[in-house]
Amino acid sequence: MSAAGSTTRRVDRRLARARGAVLVGAVVALLLLPVASDDLFYQNMAILTFLLAIMASSWNIISGYTGYVSLGQSAFLGIGAYTTALIALRFPDVTPFAFVPVAGLASAVIAAAVGVVLMRTRDHSFVILTIAFLFVTQIVVLNWPALTHGSSGVTLPLPRWDLDFQNWPFYYSLLILMLATIALSWWIRRTKFGMGLFAIRDDEDKAATVGINTSIYKVLSFVASAVFIGMAGGVFAYYLTFIEPRGMFDIVISVQVVLAVVLGGRGTLWGPVLGAFMIEPLFELTNTELPGGNWRLVLSGGLMAVVVLFLPRGIIPSLTSLGRARRERGKAALVGARLERPVRVRERARTPASSPDGRPILEVKGLRKSFGGLEAVAGASFAVPEGSICGLIGPNGSGKTTTFNLIGGTMSADAGEVLLDGRRIDRLRPWERAYLGLGRTFQITRLFRQMSVLENVVAPLRTFSWRQMTASAVGGTEARRADELLDFVGMRRFRDHPADELSFGQQKLVELAQILMLDPKVILLDEPAGGINPTLIEEIAEMIRELNSAGKTFLIVEHNLPMVLGLCDPLLVLARGACICTGTPREIQANPLVLDAYLGEDYAAEEEVETA
Amino acid sequence: MEQLVQTIALGLLVGGILALAASGLTLIFGVMDVVNVAHGALLILAAFLTWTVWREADLDPLLTVVLTTPVMFAVGGVLYFAALRRLRGTSPSMTVILTFAIAIVIEGVMGFVWGNTSHAVTPEYFTKSFRVGGLFFPKGQVFGALLAIAMLAILYVFLTRTWLGRAIRAASENPQAAQLTGINIAMVAGLAFAIGVATTGAGGSIISVLFTFAPGSHVQWISRLLGIIVLGGMGSLPGAVIGALLLGTAESLASVYISIRWATAVPFIVIFAVLLLRPQGIMGTRLREDVA
Amino acid sequence: MLQTFFMRRKLLLVAGGLALAMLAAACGGGDEDAPSGGQGGTSGEPIRIGTSLPLTGDFSEPGKAAEQGYKVWEKLLNDGDGLLGRPVEIVVRDDASQQNLAVTDYTNLISQERVDLLLGTFSSLLNLPASAVAERNQMVYVCPACGAPEIFERGFEFYFFSQQATADNQGNLYAEYVTGLPDDERPKTAAYVTQDDPFTAPVIGGLQEKLEAAGIETVFSEIYPPDTRNFDTIANSIASRKPDLVAQGSIFEDGVGLVRSFIKAGFSPSSFFQTTAPSLGEQYAEGVGAENTEGVFFAISWDENLETPVNAEFVETHREMFGGDPAEDAADAFASAQVLQAAVEAVGDIEDQEALADYLHENEVETILGTLQWDEAGRPQSEFLLAQWQGDGFEIVRPEEIATSEEIVHPKPEWGR
Repeated sequence: MSAAGSTTRRVDRRLARARGAVLVGAVVALLLLPVASDDLFYQNMAILTFLLAIMASSWNIISGYTGYVSLGQSAFLGIGAYTTALIALRFPDVTPFAFVPVAGLASAVIAAAVGVVLMRTRDHSFVILTIAFLFVTQIVVLNWPALTHGSSGVTLPLPRWDLDFQNWPFYYSLLILMLATIALSWWIRRTKFGMGLFAIRDDEDKAATVGINTSIYKVLSFVASAVFIGMAGGVFAYYLTFIEPRGMFDIVISVQVVLAVVLGGRGTLWGPVLGAFMIEPLFELTNTELPGGNWRLVLSGGLMAVVVLFLPRGIIPSLTSLGRARRERGKAALVGARLERPVRVRERARTPASSPDGRPILEVKGLRKSFGGLEAVAGASFAVPEGSICGLIGPNGSGKTTTFNLIGGTMSADAGEVLLDGRRIDRLRPWERAYLGLGRTFQITRLFRQMSVLENVVAPLRTFSWRQMTASAVGGTEARRADELLDFVGMRRFRDHPADELSFGQQKLVELAQILMLDPKVILLDEPAGGINPTLIEEIAEMIRELNSAGKTFLIVEHNLPMVLGLCDPLLVLARGACICTGTPREIQANPLVLDAYLGEDYAAEEEVETA
Repeated sequence: MEQLVQTIALGLLVGGILALAASGLTLIFGVMDVVNVAHGALLILAAFLTWTVWREADLDPLLTVVLTTPVMFAVGGVLYFAALRRLRGTSPSMTVILTFAIAIVIEGVMGFVWGNTSHAVTPEYFTKSFRVGGLFFPKGQVFGALLAIAMLAILYVFLTRTWLGRAIRAASENPQAAQLTGINIAMVAGLAFAIGVATTGAGGSIISVLFTFAPGSHVQWISRLLGIIVLGGMGSLPGAVIGALLLGTAESLASVYISIRWATAVPFIVIFAVLLLRPQGIMGTRLREDVA
Repeated sequence: MLQTFFMRRKLLLVAGGLALAMLAAACGGGDEDAPSGGQGGTSGEPIRIGTSLPLTGDFSEPGKAAEQGYKVWEKLLNDGDGLLGRPVEIVVRDDASQQNLAVTDYTNLISQERVDLLLGTFSSLLNLPASAVAERNQMVYVCPACGAPEIFERGFEFYFFSQQATADNQGNLYAEYVTGLPDDERPKTAAYVTQDDPFTAPVIGGLQEKLEAAGIETVFSEIYPPDTRNFDTIANSIASRKPDLVAQGSIFEDGVGLVRSFIKAGFSPSSFFQTTAPSLGEQYAEGVGAENTEGVFFAISWDENLETPVNAEFVETHREMFGGDPAEDAADAFASAQVLQAAVEAVGDIEDQEALADYLHENEVETILGTLQWDEAGRPQSEFLLAQWQGDGFEIVRPEEIATSEEIVHPKPEWGR
């Protein structure tokens, strides 16, 4: 391992150095281009390319990092352009460049306001709303002539600098904006903020349960993807010297942005830039060579379809994985490799702390939740004593997972209370519950697929603060703690592996380590033994006991009755959405009600509800 | 008062036609979980086909549906098997991007074939009206709405009374269960897509008589159709019909009683209001999954 | 200081040569394949004239017609003595009706193609940004369709509009005609409706102002968005107010759409004026139905029967080349080229753009549209023609001295008969 690892590292370092050299070279070349060539055509092409790269890089933050596809981001181009133009009209003696920062500010403010609203939706709804946002903005600009001059558009003064300087000011200001956008994009990737965005992209509900304040993160990423587009819009307006609503709020601009990013590679740092540098010159040249806009439509649409169908990840991710596959060829796959952790079977007395009479740390009172006409949870009430390993059992469809979702905050209850350590948490957002000491896993493991194991484990946040968002994504102390936890679950050697390459059982272990990062008082485990082999089940049970003796309280949903009976005390039995009895494993086994519940005739209907 | 009744009547007539156009979109979403952004472009494509048939063969545009419907069905089938099928199981956003790309290609192709000018189909009755008291009911609209209702009825009967139709509905309501009962989901999805696109055949034929159209018109149509299915509840056929009638009336009323210039904003305002306040729409199942 | 700066720039030019060469190689250089002139009485390198037109997209209709107009002019010149004895070549780019492409195209024409002269593009929306490129590069820019009054408020020196009047004055002759009618025939009430467009809105605005001043009561005035497709409700609103006169600022589809909706609603004003749409001839007749065109008024810049110099040749050559009657937009484009030609011939040189501009500011030019002259901002100072559909086509009915028909149909025959 170490020999192979060091070669890989050496190759990586050489690659990094080569990449650095190419970057510096490219920036120098771009700085010199207008000085070297007085050809306006190339200057114009470069200006439009920078503009597209700024938009693509910005769009990548909301749609690549956070995973929310927006087809309305070009609205901020128009907003920035109009802000600059309208202010420039009032102050004809000041260069319009002076108002470009104002354009950025205006875009940020509007993005924040719109983001708060739009970010309440997901997937299709979000895409549709962003299209609607673009058109509504256009309609407002068109129909508010007192402010915007309506369809007549706004004319800006012609540039006043000497003709010898050609379009340099536009060129350099957009170049600077492009570099700033890339820098922002680069910086976000390295921070907790960026890590949170990736987590949201991979699994938003899960992200919320591990302490990521998804509301603020999403709105901020929407703002971050609007600011530089707005500023670029300001420069662009001055460059065109004339703007009007139909051209500025054109959905075709959004299409080009999407095309550039998808082609280059969504979610990567350089993909959007690469895409922009390919798409814009291609269009400029085909525009000269091919007769007309129909070609342009067929070409851009066709190219986009081809990319989505045959290169859905884009150029950069495809090249990266190709390169990695080549380097790793011949190495044994790690999936399925033996775990490092020896099974420590230890004689152990029944935990003294788990006396059912202990102070309740988690309490549920009269919890209700219905879907359509069906009540999945119908007035469930129970208490989990502090320091216990409490088992929650019941037939399929009895509302166990829904109860978990209500406790963790992934769903909100129709009625009832949830108390953690005596404090009501049922109105709190999932991350706030996590801050108070609640951790949960999911029935089907939900790791952040596109992150490494280590990143998954350091992703959880124990509090929210603005400063923390700007902290480095994987800090030293955190990494050390994560290593300890990975050690604990026996997954340390997988720390740099992508999470989605792990086996199901391995993912369960990583998920446990991830939850432990929150240092929760109460840990909710949803079927920890589901779908994994018996050896691992025993190991997990052992870990649970170990953690319990260190003071953690557990609430476990599990179908594997031998495991439950051997591990948990007390047991809670849920049937048709209500807790029908509580007791020690022995008491429960003897209770006729429980048998009824398990054999009851009409649980099939409820099962549908729960899987829906 | 008369003007109010007239305005509502005109809105409802247009609404009936919009309902047909939106039915295919909502069907495709229901079964495939795909928002087919190319639907507007396909509608315009059917309108152009109608125009050509009307021009060359002098066939009544509303009778052209017997030609445009199968042609669009085939177009839908080709699109599904050549493109959409490959994206099964990927994120919804990729399908939106793909269908958007398809819409743009169709727009470009229509520009090549028919030119980027606006077209209109003008059978002899297109400027005639039925008159009832002081009210007028344009013949084109009335015939168009009747045809739309007929097509919707056929679609409804097909979905509820035939095995294939029931399979489609089953696939839309519970894909896993449908699969268990031996329904080939991929095949059904392809069929549903083709049928959804086939409705643009009749829709396009009707539209060609009532509105002028150009390759670029599709953007406006798709936003309107999206507004309708969001309002009605995405995936719900009755919802699409109700949504279309409401939207048609709302646009009509807004242009008379508020201002024509703000009437264009109606579909978007509907989209905003519905998605944010009642995301499941009037008839639909819950579309939006909130973090509570 | 600046001197040394540019000296250094020249040095860097060499340094950057490599990158440039690569770029040039990648882009294929490209202007060697210009056709050589040589027919007719021309010799030498062709004078190259660049233009970008909306051949596709929203404005493709007029864009294509304008291309034909330019091409007819090119052919007429090359078959004759050329320009300053040299052949001319028109380099046409397509901007797909998009502003940033119009800017790109003109930039490209100036810096890559290094054309000698420029001609304008179509529609005010595209001319606004495009003309700024020309102004910035100090090249004369004569545009065939840019009547929006705002354009001229920028104080450009090299900018000329080659039709008779800016948009706000295009309804003047119609207003004069209507207000001059005897009391019993004169409309008492009027409805104004226009597309939200920088060209049509001022036409209708200007007309409304003049008719109101003459005491005609306004009963309806609305602006509708360009993507309005259904005119039934608008027609219904107007019909319920029963105006004697309706004036619509239309481009094309909307003009057809409103007429169709009026007919459906059973409403027919006694006097009806539209911009642009009725001038599109057969297409308009097809859209509204040939029997419904009778009596529709519109302002127009040109007619094929006008007895202006070169007009007959223009029409004939156009028919030869494109097999149909020229559209008004083709004639406007032709006239733009004529204006440029007049300036070049008078100055005798294509290098001094400033001299060309000065000439146009100070002199009248004969075109197929009639005699044109400009104020200091490039605003034309003449009057539009008033035309009316009569029978199978339209006639010029005002001004009387060049009218092609003595008759004026009034009131307009009822629609739907």
